[in-house]
Amino acid sequence: MFAFREEVMRVFKTAAILGLTVSGLALSAGWANAGEVTWWTPNFNEARARELAEKFQAANPDITINLEITTTDGLPQRILTALRSGSAPDIIDVQHGWVNGYAQNDLVVPLDDVVTEREDYVPAALNYVTWNDQLWALPYRIETHAIIYNKGDFVAAGLDPANPPQTWEEFIAAAEAMTKDGKSGFAVTGGGEVGNTIFRSLPFIWMAGGAIISDDGTEVLVNSPETVRAVQFYTDFYKNGISPSSTLENDGTANRRLFIAETVSMYQSGQFDINSIRQENPDIDVGVMTIPHPEGADTAAILGGWSLVLPTDAKNPEDAKKFLAFLGETESQAVLTDTFPARVSAMSAERFNDPILEVFKEMLPYGRPVPSHPNWVQISQAYFDGIQRILLGDEDVQTAMDGVAADIEALL
Amino acid sequence: MHRKSTGYLFVLPALLVLGMLIAYPVAYTGLLSVTDNQGNLVGLDNFRAILGARATPTAFFNTLWWVVGSIVFQVVLGVLTAILLNQKFRGRAIVRSVTLIPWVVPGIVAATTWAWMLHTEFGIINYMLTAPGVLEEPVGWLTNGSTVLPVMIAINVWKMFPFVAIMVLAGLQSISNDLYEAARIDGASFWEEVWYVMLPQVRPVIVAVTLLLVIWALNHITIIYAITRGGPANRTLITPIQIFRTAFESVQFNQAAALSVMFFAVAITVVFFYIRTTAGNAGASK
Amino acid sequence: MSDTTLKLKRTGMPMPLVIVGSALLVLVCLFPFWWMGLSSIKTLRELYTIPPIWWPSLPTLDNYRTVLFESNIPRYFLNSVVISVGSTALALILAIFASYGFARFDFKGKPALQSFVLIGQLLPTAAIIVPLFITLRVLGLVNSYWGLILVYMIITLPLSVWMLTSYFRAIPVELEEAAIIDGASRIGVLFRITLPLSVPGLVSVLVYAFVTTWNEFIFALCFATDSSVKTLPIGLAEFSTEFNTDWGAVMAASMVMTLPIAILFLSMQRLFVGGMTAGATKG
Repeated sequence: MFAFREEVMRVFKTAAILGLTVSGLALSAGWANAGEVTWWTPNFNEARARELAEKFQAANPDITINLEITTTDGLPQRILTALRSGSAPDIIDVQHGWVNGYAQNDLVVPLDDVVTEREDYVPAALNYVTWNDQLWALPYRIETHAIIYNKGDFVAAGLDPANPPQTWEEFIAAAEAMTKDGKSGFAVTGGGEVGNTIFRSLPFIWMAGGAIISDDGTEVLVNSPETVRAVQFYTDFYKNGISPSSTLENDGTANRRLFIAETVSMYQSGQFDINSIRQENPDIDVGVMTIPHPEGADTAAILGGWSLVLPTDAKNPEDAKKFLAFLGETESQAVLTDTFPARVSAMSAERFNDPILEVFKEMLPYGRPVPSHPNWVQISQAYFDGIQRILLGDEDVQTAMDGVAADIEALL
Repeated sequence: MHRKSTGYLFVLPALLVLGMLIAYPVAYTGLLSVTDNQGNLVGLDNFRAILGARATPTAFFNTLWWVVGSIVFQVVLGVLTAILLNQKFRGRAIVRSVTLIPWVVPGIVAATTWAWMLHTEFGIINYMLTAPGVLEEPVGWLTNGSTVLPVMIAINVWKMFPFVAIMVLAGLQSISNDLYEAARIDGASFWEEVWYVMLPQVRPVIVAVTLLLVIWALNHITIIYAITRGGPANRTLITPIQIFRTAFESVQFNQAAALSVMFFAVAITVVFFYIRTTAGNAGASK
Repeated sequence: MSDTTLKLKRTGMPMPLVIVGSALLVLVCLFPFWWMGLSSIKTLRELYTIPPIWWPSLPTLDNYRTVLFESNIPRYFLNSVVISVGSTALALILAIFASYGFARFDFKGKPALQSFVLIGQLLPTAAIIVPLFITLRVLGLVNSYWGLILVYMIITLPLSVWMLTSYFRAIPVELEEAAIIDGASRIGVLFRITLPLSVPGLVSVLVYAFVTTWNEFIFALCFATDSSVKTLPIGLAEFSTEFNTDWGAVMAASMVMTLPIAILFLSMQRLFVGGMTAGATKG
């Protein structure tokens, strides 16, 4: 078959080079010289990234690291635009979940030779960035959700904040007990980006023994009895008035704000929320518990976090790989992450010893990657639409999940 | 006295600049729509795939409502505002400037501010309605399937009617006094003046602005995308958002291109007929 | 103006209607903006409360300090000015000629060419963003003022051409014909007769082009990655991190971004107000 686009691209490139030579124009920005590595990192990583870049440059004086700071708003669009138009930087910080799409479209290169000592990485993190038996990114940061709760509300409802609920039944009972006087016991999400609701509902499905699709990506399990039971569990919090009436417009951030405003007693989130809560409402006595599970089953969570990729069109892949190898070292991983490092050995660093992080750490081994399927984004969108239909009252759980199953069937 | 070639000379520079900038994007989109992500020709597969998606017909009808609803209210409110701002009264300069504010506020900021004001719990709007007892219960403006699209349209109208008002106002300002004087000699009332002098005179402006509003409504995704991302359950999904999500969230650039091509074909047809039917009587000289 | 010299009945909208209409208009337009302004002087604790707080107990200017002295906003403000002024000026010049051509000449394929002008506006942003980036790279204009200025032409030029064409059409053609009989050239007619008569139209197109480029986000985000060319909307996005937004600072920055434009418009009031209409018909 003809690779039409490549052909057009090549013609364009040749024309561009010719035009530039003739006119003698010098290209300034975007074209790094040998010895320069351009690294796109998000604004919340800037300080730590700078620290590591300086450390690396001190040891490798012939390589310069140019940091370009990205913003979270519109980040996937900006990265895709750069990757697809062939003027990508040398290294980009991306979320684990994005890597698969890049790999399938040949936008990044495999990093099997860079990621050494794999036994030291959390396996779920490596699974995330594996496609076609190759590693397409260097994971450096991992995290999972737990349940954050207001200890004061526990006491007010006559519950023991030191012994939070373990099972679904206990959890529902506790949430119901705290739902009074305009307060909502437990907030789920039903709005915002798809990922918010996937991160908060898929773990319940796993715990119940269900799934959205099978691990090999060939079978639709979203309307199986196990999955339906978990979706019922999740959506009933809203249907039964335990989750706030604004659930359909709330994402994780909105839930945190409701928690800070003391109208929500429990919600799911990661450790990154703890600082915001303490800063914005120091009166709340914050507790953290593992996510409750059905009687006799293990808890579960989605593993989230960030990886580093090397674009196919990188100008300086050799030096970029050197730098990536440096970022993969235990000491670097202990510094770079905002939450937890992807390497087990980096976890022993002092900064991860805060007692409030204890439960989040306990959750880590239960963290799983989302299924890797070329159409995962559309599959999760179809599932999310189904959840919203249930919350809106359009359909009951079984009907909605049957509809979702039909949608997903077409995508496998 | 109108030599035809002179006309071309006038329009050529703008056409050249536009042609230079959009020729490649148009060709690129066309090519993407008939290839897969490896660059192999696949015929109409992408079109079939995207037309088969459950969201596509929903998005089409939502787009229709969105465009029609937005345009009608934008034009009516915009023209009424322009007539008001064309009156002589104390403080007119201030009112004119204030009117412009919704349009000047960055779209993303306006969207987030409205989302926040309309929030079921945090929202000032529900607070204003429930505190004095106008409403018993807070309304889920953005969570109720039947209110969410009208609310989006209302925000879009709020954002864009000032533009209509300013454009029509500029047209009203250019109406020659002779026409008003003639009408007054005939003893016309104010409303007759509006109907027989102002509206016919600014008709070309209204015609042009309407077309622009249609194009805008078809292409401006900021408000919906920032507030609901097309949800809940695709209640506010319009085709341009579907294209955006297909491309940048699902990384299905080929299907997105196929949908773009169809979207573009429909849009250009509508625009072409609109121009054909309005050009004849919109006052072209000779 | 003529209503003082003529003894005809002065007609106008009934005064009560003017008052009610203006009040309503101001309320609707200003309320969200006022809410933004209020949020910009609230402390973090008072931003999200249930029920909402009308007036902060401790108004603070901290957010403005953050925006003006601890962020890139001042630099981005300058970039925005350069890019918006540049693209507006270019678009206006090209649009004046094109609109005049469309308004005053009949030529083969005019409807088709007029539709062509709009193509750039009809292509969904998501479809053109990648190929546009490639075009800019080929031209060597990524991360430069010129790159964004040119890209914004695609957005503003079509609509500017459309608006101006309709304004030019509204000007009586007899005025121009008289001048041409007197021996004036086409260009001379355009600049000495048509343009002065369409000042309100020109100003409104100018405001449109300026505001559009001033607020554009997604192209700026993708095409300007260096802080020497980033614009204000990117600056707003920089107050957000992965799971948090410094909402007070965003609101303060929005005020910094919006107020100059509103004031600019206020100062251009005079250009909108008639003055030229009386002279037009007496020529």
